[in-house]
Amino acid sequence: MSDWFSSLNTVVIDFDVSHQFFPRIIITLLLILGLVIVATNFRPVMRAIRSGRYQFFVKNADFFRLLVTFALIPGYFWGMDAVGDVLPNMGLGFLLASIPFVLLMSMLYCHDLTRRNMTIIVANAVIAPTVVWVVLYHFFLVSMP
Amino acid sequence: MEFLELLSPAFFLLAAAGSIIGIIFGAIPGMTATMAVAVCLPLTYTLGLQEGLALLLGLYVGGISGGLVPAVLLNIPGTPSSITTTFDGYPMAQRGEAERALKTCIVASLFGGTFSALILFFFAPVLADFAIKFSYVEKFLMIFFAMSVIASLSKNILMGVFSGLLGVLLSLIGTYDVSNGGNGEYRLMASFMEPYLAYGFSLLPVLIGLFGISTIIEEAEKGVKEPSLENKVNLTKGTPFSYRIFKGQMSNLLRSSSIGTFIGMLPGIGGSAASILAYTQQKNFSKTPEKMGTGEPEGLVASESANNGLTGGALIPLLSLGIPGDSTTAVLIGAFTLQGLQVGPLFIGENINTWYSMITALMFANIVMFVVMFYAIRHIAKVVLIPKFILYPIIVMMCTVGAYAINYGIMFDVWTLFIFGVAGWIFTKIGIEVAPLVIGFILGSSAEVYFVKSLESYGEYSVLFTKSPIAMVLWGLIALSIGVSIMIHKKSKQHAKQGASK
Amino acid sequence: MKKLFQSSTILMAAACALAPAVANASDNPIRGNIRVVIGSKSTGGDTYQASAIIAEALAKKIDTNVKVDAVGFSAGYQALARVPTGNTLMIFHDQAYLGNLYGQKGYEDPFKEWIIGPSFATNPGNGYLIPKNSPYKNMDEILNAAGNGKTVRVAIQPGGVSEIGYTAMKNAVRLAYPGQEDNLVALNTGSQSDKNQALFDGLADVINGSVQANEQYTRLPADDQKAMDFVWLTAKASTIAQANPNGMGETSRDQLMQYASGLGVNIPMDADSDFTFDKEFFFLYNKRMSPEVIKFLDNALAEVFADGKVQETLKKSFFIPNFRTSAEAQKHFKAKRDSYAKIIDNLHK
Repeated sequence: MSDWFSSLNTVVIDFDVSHQFFPRIIITLLLILGLVIVATNFRPVMRAIRSGRYQFFVKNADFFRLLVTFALIPGYFWGMDAVGDVLPNMGLGFLLASIPFVLLMSMLYCHDLTRRNMTIIVANAVIAPTVVWVVLYHFFLVSMP
Repeated sequence: MEFLELLSPAFFLLAAAGSIIGIIFGAIPGMTATMAVAVCLPLTYTLGLQEGLALLLGLYVGGISGGLVPAVLLNIPGTPSSITTTFDGYPMAQRGEAERALKTCIVASLFGGTFSALILFFFAPVLADFAIKFSYVEKFLMIFFAMSVIASLSKNILMGVFSGLLGVLLSLIGTYDVSNGGNGEYRLMASFMEPYLAYGFSLLPVLIGLFGISTIIEEAEKGVKEPSLENKVNLTKGTPFSYRIFKGQMSNLLRSSSIGTFIGMLPGIGGSAASILAYTQQKNFSKTPEKMGTGEPEGLVASESANNGLTGGALIPLLSLGIPGDSTTAVLIGAFTLQGLQVGPLFIGENINTWYSMITALMFANIVMFVVMFYAIRHIAKVVLIPKFILYPIIVMMCTVGAYAINYGIMFDVWTLFIFGVAGWIFTKIGIEVAPLVIGFILGSSAEVYFVKSLESYGEYSVLFTKSPIAMVLWGLIALSIGVSIMIHKKSKQHAKQGASK
Repeated sequence: MKKLFQSSTILMAAACALAPAVANASDNPIRGNIRVVIGSKSTGGDTYQASAIIAEALAKKIDTNVKVDAVGFSAGYQALARVPTGNTLMIFHDQAYLGNLYGQKGYEDPFKEWIIGPSFATNPGNGYLIPKNSPYKNMDEILNAAGNGKTVRVAIQPGGVSEIGYTAMKNAVRLAYPGQEDNLVALNTGSQSDKNQALFDGLADVINGSVQANEQYTRLPADDQKAMDFVWLTAKASTIAQANPNGMGETSRDQLMQYASGLGVNIPMDADSDFTFDKEFFFLYNKRMSPEVIKFLDNALAEVFADGKVQETLKKSFFIPNFRTSAEAQKHFKAKRDSYAKIIDNLHK
């Protein structure tokens, strides 16, 4: 009995492969739990999907704003990286990409593009990134692309 | 009282300035206390030792406290340790009680901060000797204990635990880092990921991606409608703040501050665990645990007193062992080395004047933090009134700055924002719960190191239970915590049934 | 993602084509700010400290903004690979080639991937410690115990600077007691805190540490659980001899000298020479960086050292000034790498 216990209790972890030990435990647990969840919920979920009670998108989703958001954010990141490569280590990648980004995103999200709102949007798009750039990059020496 | 001569007006000015700059850094989503200390570290070169430390300690206290502002107002944790503040703070702000929530947080922060500074002052060496009794096994159990909050946080226990494990798995991607004791091998990686994910996803971008960017994507899907006049968040509506909130919260304050201080003291556990653990415990001891997470001040009290309790706590091992207790103190140690000052077990005795002046700076910074925030909050809270079309682009921009700067300039951290922004948006739609996932992610990698190292060093599973009396006590607490949360779930199910049958 | 990098390469090439036209304007061929990435992610460590000191001196000399970013080696290599203009430089130490020798992930051969830039400082503090109540008193006893079949556990961080001394100990056991070297066992831990903890927990008999981090522990009374003693400092005696005479904390330079190889401690490298290891900091440059820029930086740093002020700052922080031009450094580190490659190979046979 005690032999059986001690053999069950002993664990030898080879350092060279120890990076796999914990991930394997977690993956196993995830698989078990995943199976339990599928087993208990598969039918009600399928019923909900088939009957149309479950929708991936919200009702009356605004696909235009959603899709443009999905394009705008990566475009912004790509743009600052590209500019930062041409003009390295001056924070200009951030500044030159942020101004158009803030402008376009504000215009995208504003429902009422009156002259007054446009003035606010343009002013904000120019001032906000510039202030951030001056204060954080120049005073605080925060790294920027 | 020789040290009084060291306290020039500049000393207090710098501590105050540090505290205010720290609050601003903490309050901007994506900028953290650690970052505030890191960017100001080179400035301390030119300052004297006392003044430099005053500035940095101010930044530390301010930065940790500032994190509560976006947590309450925008549902984005300003720093990782304010994640549990979002659980109750944001619902309160939605009800129009933003000011009440913020003020509750600030008072709790002040309490936690001064409490831990006093503990630091009176008990640092004794506690450091206690902290080194925590070996791999006990540290793993502490983390496991903090993870038990997943069970009580989740809406559906099965999905919650699944999400938590998923978070753990995500945190393991990359190298089993040699600087944590790993063997430096990659796992869970495809070769195309290697240039970007050698060190895995960074915590802060993941966090602000899941909380900040995904909210914006969700809003975009709904069309970013500005609330109509009558639905607009009203700052004066709802119960106003009064100190009566703290009636009956004394044990909560004391317990959470102690938890914060204690977690700070244990190197390697990570600061975010402090507020998570305090929140779990409050939920376990609460009279109305089912209400926590829906906008209860007691949740805020637990979270904020714990994360400010961290400040004094994390300084304990730094000053009495030479080992930083959290990521911010790891940067702080640079200030000492740059000044040619050695930290270690003899630091306090050999630098008694510096020690006194540090405690003074710490206490003073807490007071400045309180005064500034308490009276400025009325204006800060107006952030929620800014129209979304102005606010959202700025949030994205600030999150980007923060993500890029968190590891001193890594572009992939910015892409991480977007990846987790999209992931977070999808997660909520397919039933994966974000809060448990984040907690799994925060605690996952240290759980791994301490678990694997425990077994590697002792060679048997039973050591996890029998290593020391501390370990056994921890197991008791873990069992209690899980038991209570299962009870809470049962109760709320019954409630739901009764509600349905009525 | 790939496309993204291709297009940025095109933009970069365009930028390079434009650069020389402006470069002639002054004798500084590097236009704009300089970013120094370092191989360590910590701002509290010795790499950051040494880099901050040299960066500040360099910035003053060439009148440019120089910023040190603790991005870690893997992100540092990527940043370095992207900017050949000299706007991004890297500072690292012997880990650059030791990581490669020990086969660590992500460490390419630095002599192939990069241009080795000037070296500028040595940290003489790397060493090994035992608990004060240890049955061993010095390195000889430890090596003899291992040679006579006793298991000795050494806490290190595998795969680099922390392991090289352990490798040397193993090699020493192998030379004196062939076949017994496996009695010296590595306990693989991470940070200094983990190594200290391993000692407190009784999991390790010897730990890797440093003068800077552990000196105060050696002054604790013997009945304190945390008390330690040095048994070996890996740096050359001649290197430690250049340190500030006050040493570190309350331990003077002369006291530290007795732990140096060749004086109080004997760790042979082979039959006729002693093993020593100086942890040296040096620049790494992008492979495509122009000779003009290399020369400019060589000269600038030579002038910084000729002024003599930076040496004082370095010594105050327990670094040993150690300037070599890019070409000298290349030769020096190649020879150093080859000698360590030999003992690592010997142990793997």
